[in-house]
Amino acid sequence: MRRRTSPVQAILIGGVMVVALLWVLFPFYWAFVNSIKKPADTFRSGAWVPFLQFQPTLEHWVSELAILEIRQALINSTIIALGAATLAVLLGTLAAYALARFRFGKSGNANLTTWFISQRILPPVVVVIPFFLIMRQLQLLDNVFSLVLLNATFTLPFPVIILSQMIRELPQELEEAALVDGANVSQAFTRVVLPLILPGLVATWIICMAFSWNEFLFALSLTTNRAIPMPVIIAGAEHTRGVQFWFVGVRVLLTMLPPIVFALLAQRYIIRGLTLGAVKG
Amino acid sequence: MRKVFFPLIPILVIAAMVLTACPAPAPTTAPAPTTGEAEGETYATVVEAGELVPPVVAQPCEGDACFCRDKTVTVIVNTAGEKGPISGPFYEVRDEFEKATGAKLEIVEVPFAEHFPKLLTDLTTGTGQYDTSIAGAWWLGDLVGGDYILPLDDYYNDTTGKYPKWDVEDVQPGPRDLLFYDEKLYMVANDHDGQVMYYRRDLIEDPEHQAAFKAQYGYDLKVPDTIQEFRDVAEYFNGKDLNGDGTPDNGLTMHLKVGGQGMFHFMSFSAPFVIGPDNPKLYWFDPETMQPLMDSPGHQAAMEALVDLIQFGPEAMMGWSLGESWDHFLRGQAALTFTWGDLGALAQQEGSQVKGKTGAAPMPGTTQYYDITSGQWKQVEGVNKVGNTTGGSWAGVISKFSDAPDCTYFLLALMAHPEKSKVYAYRGWDGVDPGRFSHYLPPAGTNTIDGYVAAGWDPGDAESYTFAYYENFGSELMFPYLRIPGTFEYWTALDIHLSEAATGQKTAAEALKATVDDFNAITDRLGRDLQREIYVKSLGLE
Amino acid sequence: MAASETPARPRRTDPTKFFFIMPAVIWVLLFTIFPLLYALYTSFFSFRFGRINQFVGFGNYLRLFTDANLHNGLRVTLTFVIVTVTVQMLLGFALALLLNREMRGKSVLRAIMVLPLFATPVAVGYLSITLFYEINGPINELLRALGGAGIPWLSNPFWALVAVIIIDIWQWTPFVFLVSLAALQGLPADLYEAAEVDGASAWQSFRSITLPLMTPILWLILLLRLVEAFKVFDIPTSLTLGGPGRATEVYSLFTYRTALRFFDHGYAAAQGFLLLFIVSLIVALLFGRIRSIYQEERS
Repeated sequence: MRRRTSPVQAILIGGVMVVALLWVLFPFYWAFVNSIKKPADTFRSGAWVPFLQFQPTLEHWVSELAILEIRQALINSTIIALGAATLAVLLGTLAAYALARFRFGKSGNANLTTWFISQRILPPVVVVIPFFLIMRQLQLLDNVFSLVLLNATFTLPFPVIILSQMIRELPQELEEAALVDGANVSQAFTRVVLPLILPGLVATWIICMAFSWNEFLFALSLTTNRAIPMPVIIAGAEHTRGVQFWFVGVRVLLTMLPPIVFALLAQRYIIRGLTLGAVKG
Repeated sequence: MRKVFFPLIPILVIAAMVLTACPAPAPTTAPAPTTGEAEGETYATVVEAGELVPPVVAQPCEGDACFCRDKTVTVIVNTAGEKGPISGPFYEVRDEFEKATGAKLEIVEVPFAEHFPKLLTDLTTGTGQYDTSIAGAWWLGDLVGGDYILPLDDYYNDTTGKYPKWDVEDVQPGPRDLLFYDEKLYMVANDHDGQVMYYRRDLIEDPEHQAAFKAQYGYDLKVPDTIQEFRDVAEYFNGKDLNGDGTPDNGLTMHLKVGGQGMFHFMSFSAPFVIGPDNPKLYWFDPETMQPLMDSPGHQAAMEALVDLIQFGPEAMMGWSLGESWDHFLRGQAALTFTWGDLGALAQQEGSQVKGKTGAAPMPGTTQYYDITSGQWKQVEGVNKVGNTTGGSWAGVISKFSDAPDCTYFLLALMAHPEKSKVYAYRGWDGVDPGRFSHYLPPAGTNTIDGYVAAGWDPGDAESYTFAYYENFGSELMFPYLRIPGTFEYWTALDIHLSEAATGQKTAAEALKATVDDFNAITDRLGRDLQREIYVKSLGLE
Repeated sequence: MAASETPARPRRTDPTKFFFIMPAVIWVLLFTIFPLLYALYTSFFSFRFGRINQFVGFGNYLRLFTDANLHNGLRVTLTFVIVTVTVQMLLGFALALLLNREMRGKSVLRAIMVLPLFATPVAVGYLSITLFYEINGPINELLRALGGAGIPWLSNPFWALVAVIIIDIWQWTPFVFLVSLAALQGLPADLYEAAEVDGASAWQSFRSITLPLMTPILWLILLLRLVEAFKVFDIPTSLTLGGPGRATEVYSLFTYRTALRFFDHGYAAAQGFLLLFIVSLIVALLFGRIRSIYQEERS
């Protein structure tokens, strides 16, 4: 669609891509290898390829999959990530539109944006205890809902900041044309702006998902049993006897599973979103 | 070209993963291992977790005898799962406990490092989510000081037969002291931690090595008795192939990663440099001023000796925690180490290459120590050896906010029952280490070798192991365990500065000076007078 | 050409704006105002046994100036931030440029490139212990196979920080990649077509179209990465726990230890506000820069 690539370029790009793929995938491969090694093989030299260099075992997978808590944690993580990201993008997109298209006093826009960013600066550990107290008051301790609420709050700045910039880059004439045609502001927003920023919307949604997916500190302090998500389970692979690397391997791959499945399911929609974005202009 | 190539890569990778995963044999039916390791590798007898189980000692209750009906006992414990150290026995005993009391047992597992902060958050906010925590002994300074846990004397002394019976006198004096704080019982005996020296019996008894060692050092190769001998043996074996795989191995192994509990190494190791007949108690602070003693000439000599030993271990151990260091020894790649009881038991399990080759002995001693009370080095006759209880000695405490303290005590006492405790001590996987007379073999104790052998132990290993612990815990001189408020903060400072000395960022003297400075800052913040008062009391000096 | 494409400044002021902005503002206020005030309050107290002990005025804030360990944390964090953010920005943007073209399998490629974002940092840290294992971990084995020597990754203060940095780059480059790619796709295609008709080279159209149009969003990505990088915690905690010594003890880890290991919550809160102050300052400076991009439309 853009510039055509010459064969030399193609080889070059291909080479870079192969390196990038190896770089990205190798740790996952290593997690997999760890997960099928006997503990005694974990630190043995030259144990890269199963069967050829070491005798693989499924015992860690079998024992981990038998643990009810891990299955529950996968469900919890999915609920938390989906719920929090959707809430954050919903609220954030609205705010982003306001910041991009309206004026809030002399320097209100900049101040509001800074304020949103500042929500991500304070180290979370400083506010763990007050959040614990809030959730206790709301009777939401050991409840996934508390983590949905919190992660939505903490990831809200991403859509606000990223999307307001993307909206700002849209030509304002399109909305104005819609308004002239008799649409009201919210119609102009949903019918004109939203489709155009879809790639950004999807990107920020993924980012909010990722942050909620990985959040550890609050998950740890606010859950005890039923609501535990994956990061806490993963941290639990460190015993008093040190890290159980084979469990880390299983758990990190299990943790990757829902996002991958979800990405496959959503692929069609994501691509459509990206293409829609690309035709504008 | 490129267009075909790109999607292929991920597909290939995934396909490779799937293919390799599928035909792997089920774990239980795995035939003789065919790993690419050296030939002649022998695998130890497999003691699968769950094969050996402790006997049921509590009878199911009926009617009114079920005094915990409708109650839930929640225990918070380090994450390790149903077959893991310390947490495992709770899953094992759950059914028996629930039937005997009518209560429900809920087990909350928390990552090791987060256990104490999570517990303390619950206690300081008065939330009361947990009835009992399987706590580290060093927490008591904060838990008792903050008035967060219950003394258990009344439950222990109960004569109505309501609770299972266990005998606190059965616990050896060293670990027994840790159950008490301020002369009240706060913990129910469970795990008993202390560091002893492990060595390779096969190497020490090897005539070739004996001859070569004698030629080099001018005395007989034997189990090291002093730190100097420990150094000689480590130096001698360093760089030699110790497990027949054709690659050079190490003289010793330690775990010195920050947060890898390396400071316990320093405590056990440095004890005989500071503690001696004329100074049985002063190691941490001057009881009059709370001025830290960590930069005394004795501590310095110990730090220098420890840093000097590092050259005989793998460089990587500066980044190791327990697991990696034990692993090194279990694969036969180190001749010496000193650590907790877990290693002796793990050496008997599958994958160990040192079963039947592992000896244990109390920590080596010194021939002189720096007496802090008089400010001079003192020679001793023979060897100055100091026992220790370094470690967590994970045992149950009961929260003040528990709404079922009696049911909770029942649970802890049930697990402390001598018949159960004996089985816990046999097994390596459950993390409960020996420390009772009923764990030891005669003449030290009342157990028999049959129990150990039935549990998969090599008899020689078991004998050496239990006697080492008996001697360590029964030592006349004991390393003074620190249990004052902020203990973990003091230890973290020591841990970090030890790492700095070990990795050459600071000299031994500088590292200890920095430790002293950190200690002073902590003491000042927590209140010097208050800290002093508790410290003096904890030493029994008043 | 590029200048006229740059965005229009916000111009409407009608009350509809509150309908859009208030939900987010109220939401954030609702959840953060109490914790913030609570932290502020505790920062004036000393703690004992995890409970408030004594009012100490500005004592906790004064400690910030004399605490050498805290200053070490700041130094380590600054080094970490400068290196990781620079590399991530360059790598992430470059990858986005490369993948912003038609090729078969690109959606799969993109999905793979984003995977590290979902690998829980705690797990990545633990996994890295095996990756960087000095005796025969895969990285050192590879280096040796290539004829080099093994690197003392985790036992050497310098290399431990490098290891932490490498892992952070692995994990967060996709963030830059993802957002820049989304922004690149929003660029008007007709500009490129026009440039091609005019005979501009790829480099020329990159210089005169892509870069100017991308500058504002790149500044924002930089800003977000900076803010996150200053708070780095999970990876050094699970990989090195700040060691050897304090060589990788980043600021957040130090604050974490203060609060949840030593239960000195007041001092931890003061540390939090210091970081808030420092990073806000950087954000304000950067924002000045971002605003000057829109200078031409100020009139």
